[in-house]
Parts: sequence; C-alpha cells; structure tokens
Amino acid sequence: MILDYTRCKHASIAELEENSLLVRVAVEDTFYAAEVEMVVGLPALEVTSIKGKVKRAFSDKCQQAVPLLNEVVGMRVGSGIIKAVNDLVGGPSGCPRLADLILEGFNDVILRYTMPPLREIVPLAGQAQLEAYQAYLRKSPRLVGSCIAFAEGSPYREGLEV
Amino acid sequence: MLSFTRTKVIGVESPKENILLAHGVLDDNIYAMELDVEVKLPDFEITGIQGRMKRVTTAECWKAVPKLGNAIGLRIGEERFISKINRGVGKQGCSHFANLLLECCDAIRQQAIYGGWQKLKEKDASLSKETFLKEQLKKIPGLKDSCLLYS
Repeated sequence: MILDYTRCKHASIAELEENSLLVRVAVEDTFYAAEVEMVVGLPALEVTSIKGKVKRAFSDKCQQAVPLLNEVVGMRVGSGIIKAVNDLVGGPSGCPRLADLILEGFNDVILRYTMPPLREIVPLAGQAQLEAYQAYLRKSPRLVGSCIAFAEGSPYREGLEV
Repeated sequence: MLSFTRTKVIGVESPKENILLAHGVLDDNIYAMELDVEVKLPDFEITGIQGRMKRVTTAECWKAVPKLGNAIGLRIGEERFISKINRGVGKQGCSHFANLLLECCDAIRQQAIYGGWQKLKEKDASLSKETFLKEQLKKIPGLKDSCLLYS
C-alpha cells in the first residue's frame, strides 16, 4: 500500500564550548515543515536564544505564529514548562506544532542527562544491575512511579522508601 | 559534538474507507521502538494497536507492551486525550511508547484534516482553502480553537 502521509521529526543536542547546549528540532511531513533552534544555558537549563521557521504549511497564516517563539527565551527546562510552552506558543492564537517542536527539544535535553547514568547501569547484569537501579532511584526520586519499570511492585523499588 | 539525537518516522495509509493506519518508529541514543495504530473515522476511535520494543533500559520495560491496550477505545481529540495516553500508556507503561503513540495520532489527524484537499481541488478548481478548512472544522473533533488557523 502506498502511504498517504509521511512524517519525519529529528532532534539533536550538541554541546557548545560556552557551557551551553544547541538544541535543534525539525519536522517535515506531507503538509508541513518547520524547524526550531534553541541555545540552552548550563547549569540552569535556561533558554538563552531561539529561532525558528515555518518552511511549508497549508496556510500562509501559520507564519504569524513564528514571533511567539521569543516567549520561550528565559524559560527553564523543568516543572511547569509544558503548560507554559503550550499556553504561550501553542493554543488558539498560536501554533501547537511549533510548541511541539520546542517541547520535543526540552524532552531530549532531559534524556541527554539521563544517558550518562544509564550508560553505567545498562551493561551490568543480574544483582549488580538491580542494585545500581535501586541506587539510581534513590538519587532520582522523580522517576519513582514514572513508568512500569519503576512502579510499585517493581524489583527496582524493593527497599526503597517513597 | 552531538550528545543526543532522537528521530521519529511515521507513515499513514488508508487500507479501507474510514480506516487510517499509522506505523511509527522511534529511535534515539537510548530507546528504539515501533507502533502500529489503527484509527476508525469519523469519530477517530483507536481500534487497534500493536507495539514492539527493540532497545530499552530495564528488564521490566517489556511489561509496558500490554499497556498499549489502554489506548483502545479512546478518541483522538476527545477531552484530555493527551493526559489519558500519558497516564494509561505512559505512566502505567512506557513514556516513550506514549510519546510515539501521540506522534502517530497527530499524524493520523493531520492526514484526516488535509488529506482530502488535493482531490477536492481537482474536482472543483474554484474551491478555496478557506472554504475547505471551514468544512474540516465541522468534521474534525477538537479542531475548533486548536490554533490560530481555527480560531
């Protein structure tokens, strides 16, 4: 069967020398193409600059949402960020698809910081891995209950006081 | 130097009238997984879903696959749809599955909104985009006030 619709979304995080991250997210689909590029300062994870383009859309009106990207400057990747971005960039007077690109980038910034401990833990086997995950959960209590691996009854939660 | 990348690729096909099927793939430095999602129109109900985890981080992650069933019966665009997916498929299962499922659902929705334009325009050259969008606004649940185009 021939596809009626295709979408490719790609996000990348690059380490900049000046203690910051360059976050790029682009989407290209059958009806829409856009990209967002943000610099996120460390260690506060604060957006210090942003630029973006709607390169192709069903309506020319979609271009009107691009200046809303500036609302994100000064925001910090952390709690409340999803609602803030959806309210300021998405929503009835904005573009949810541009908001989505920003949130994709923020999600990937968080995953970038999840990776180093996982790089240590994942290659371990059996009891060693179990204990390493238990120690990881103690250090990162926000993960407790966040998914089935860290749900109540999981072996990784054994001995962990919540 | 790049420290992290994530790519999501989605394809949508229509094997039968009023059925849209999405196949989605997510691949990043940590996770790799894929989904097949079936949605029935015109009410955008999720009627089928299958998933495979190719690369995960714990021995427990695989238990998230049956939790995909929590999405069955939900309708794209219904009230609190995203929260329901994030809770039933994400929190109770795997947040990356939930992320990919929402991407697939959005792709299906985009196809449902704009997919008919080309054929209608070929039939009626005088059809304007504004008229087409007004018709879609009546047909697609949750479209009203969803962005500056539909407000």
